[in-house]
Amino acid sequence: MLPPEKLNKHAIANAFLRREYFVYYVFILTLLFFTVTLHDVSFFSVTNFMNVIRQTTPVTIMAIGLTFALAGGHIDLSIGAVVALAALVAALLLQMVPVPVAVIGALMVGVAVGLINGLLIEWLKVSSLLITLGTMGVITGVARQLTNLESVPIIEPSFNFVFGSGSFGPVSVLLLWTLGIAALGYLLLRKCRFGRHLLAVGGNEKGARAMGISTIKVRIMALVLASSAAALAGLLYAGRLHGARYTLGEADLLTVIAAVAIGGTSLFGGRASILGAVIGSWLMGLINNGLILSGFSTNEQMIARGVILVVAVAIGVKEQQK
Amino acid sequence: MTMRFLTIFLAFLASISAVSAAELRGPLGNPATPVSGIALSDSERQTIRQGGYKAALVWHGSSTWVNALTAGAKAAFDELGIRLVGQTDAQFDPAKQASDLENVMALEPDMILTLVIDGASVKSSFDKAVKAGAELVLLSNPISGYQPGREYVGIVTDDMQGMGVAAAELMAEAVPGGGNIGVIYHDADYFITNTRDRAFMNAIDSGEHGAFSVKAKRGFTKESETSSIASAMVLQYPMLEAVYVSWDAAAEGVIAGLRAAGRPDIKVITHDLGVNNLVDMAMGGNLYASVADRPYEIGYAMALLGAYGILDKPAPAFSVVGFDKVRRDSIAQVWQSTYHTPLPPLLQRALQQ
Repeated sequence: MLPPEKLNKHAIANAFLRREYFVYYVFILTLLFFTVTLHDVSFFSVTNFMNVIRQTTPVTIMAIGLTFALAGGHIDLSIGAVVALAALVAALLLQMVPVPVAVIGALMVGVAVGLINGLLIEWLKVSSLLITLGTMGVITGVARQLTNLESVPIIEPSFNFVFGSGSFGPVSVLLLWTLGIAALGYLLLRKCRFGRHLLAVGGNEKGARAMGISTIKVRIMALVLASSAAALAGLLYAGRLHGARYTLGEADLLTVIAAVAIGGTSLFGGRASILGAVIGSWLMGLINNGLILSGFSTNEQMIARGVILVVAVAIGVKEQQK
Repeated sequence: MTMRFLTIFLAFLASISAVSAAELRGPLGNPATPVSGIALSDSERQTIRQGGYKAALVWHGSSTWVNALTAGAKAAFDELGIRLVGQTDAQFDPAKQASDLENVMALEPDMILTLVIDGASVKSSFDKAVKAGAELVLLSNPISGYQPGREYVGIVTDDMQGMGVAAAELMAEAVPGGGNIGVIYHDADYFITNTRDRAFMNAIDSGEHGAFSVKAKRGFTKESETSSIASAMVLQYPMLEAVYVSWDAAAEGVIAGLRAAGRPDIKVITHDLGVNNLVDMAMGGNLYASVADRPYEIGYAMALLGAYGILDKPAPAFSVVGFDKVRRDSIAQVWQSTYHTPLPPLLQRALQQ
């Protein structure tokens, strides 16, 4: 039996090594590593960090949305496709209607896809993996069909400013979007009844049902949030690129899943962290940025990114098993 | 009437284009001939029309470029009374292309127009098509062991070498006398982009276009990567005056990165035509110029070559289409010769500003 002071030390050490803190340590270590190795190329500068934020924001927003779906025990593979469709819808609507209407129209794409996903999963009682794989195909096809693969430019300055290209001094509007959506996500998950119900449903569905929680409603809402966040990510891509094309978001799905998983959210429901998803996505962006600045070739970057991911996930899982 | 107009139009394009066909050779060393030499007489057209032939398009991917290619082929099919029975998109997957080919063969096409993704891995599927008597017309990429006039009718391709050199000439216009530049190239084994990128680099390195110093050279595999690369490049090398990037959609990310870095002074040179970037060019943004090929013309010529095969008419083994340099003042004209569609309204508006 350990003496009380030793027990205390163990408790403190265990608290610091908790799974949910893991992503922050990796983030800080990565930051320190690149700061030291890239001290001669302005890695540690406001400009570069703003670059990372700017490039990562759509992924961060999608990661926050996906956190809700995963918390409820579902995965949503259609989010990458929603990004492209929402961006194209916004770009097309902007040629006909005022900015707010176009934005609402694009966000409605996300709401509609989330509802369809949710209703199909809950009514058919089929795995979310399969249903969203199917809807991903449908949405990708619709996005390609919508403009016959042509990109659609956006020349509306107010839209471009608000949704990606604007900045206040050195601070990009995309940082404000990240902070705003992260705060909203945190409040929803941690401070609202919906968040508590969602975690209960994801952790123990039978128990949640026994407590009188409408598990179907909660899970559908989580999928609507995931899709709506993807639609917002589409708007942010469109604003930054001053246009939309059917390929937007197609490469993001795996990055988003990795960011959420590294951030401490369980892929099987019941445990979720909004802040972890944000830091997880920033970590992915930071690694990407650091590797490019390091002058690695594309192949070397892929290898390094893969190794870092495997190590990060492996350490995280080990910690969880303890 | 339409046929005559098209023939005159193609001849006109060939005459004004910057084809450097004399320098190009096909995969078997065949000399390159301008695509304007491909034509059918009235009696040959009549023969084809009466034959009730069928065609299939077995493409490598889908894009606005492929759409224009298809439109060109369809225009020729319509003139010749050829029925298009199948069209496929392999999504850059050789295995899918092999399946696609097997599927369209069930429709018994008399000619197949295709861009083969990997000539080695799809060969056995194409062997079956050749055995079944279909006339093969290839776009750019050869199939190992195949001979023109035996397994396939001919190859039609871009003047990739010429396009790379033209990009270097535009770079010299954007930064007169030379200067510090960045290069963002396609880091994947893909014949068309690799040849253009290499030709650009060779032309820049030759020093014929000015004293250029390539400060940074980075590769990309996905279009979505170029924004991060451009941002990092400008951060590391703020002295850059221009950036070359392999193609239009990849240039969108570069331009977004330069905008975010507050560097409207850095000029971008690329290949191909996309509306988003042309709007940027029209509005005086980062995109200085582009080099565009003529997919519609390629599709049209490929269809005619298919007819050569049916008629057993000796065909040029390796034909090359021209390209155009696109600057702000030539956007409307080049758009027409590239896509044969009206200029998008938003682009028209941007040009009027």
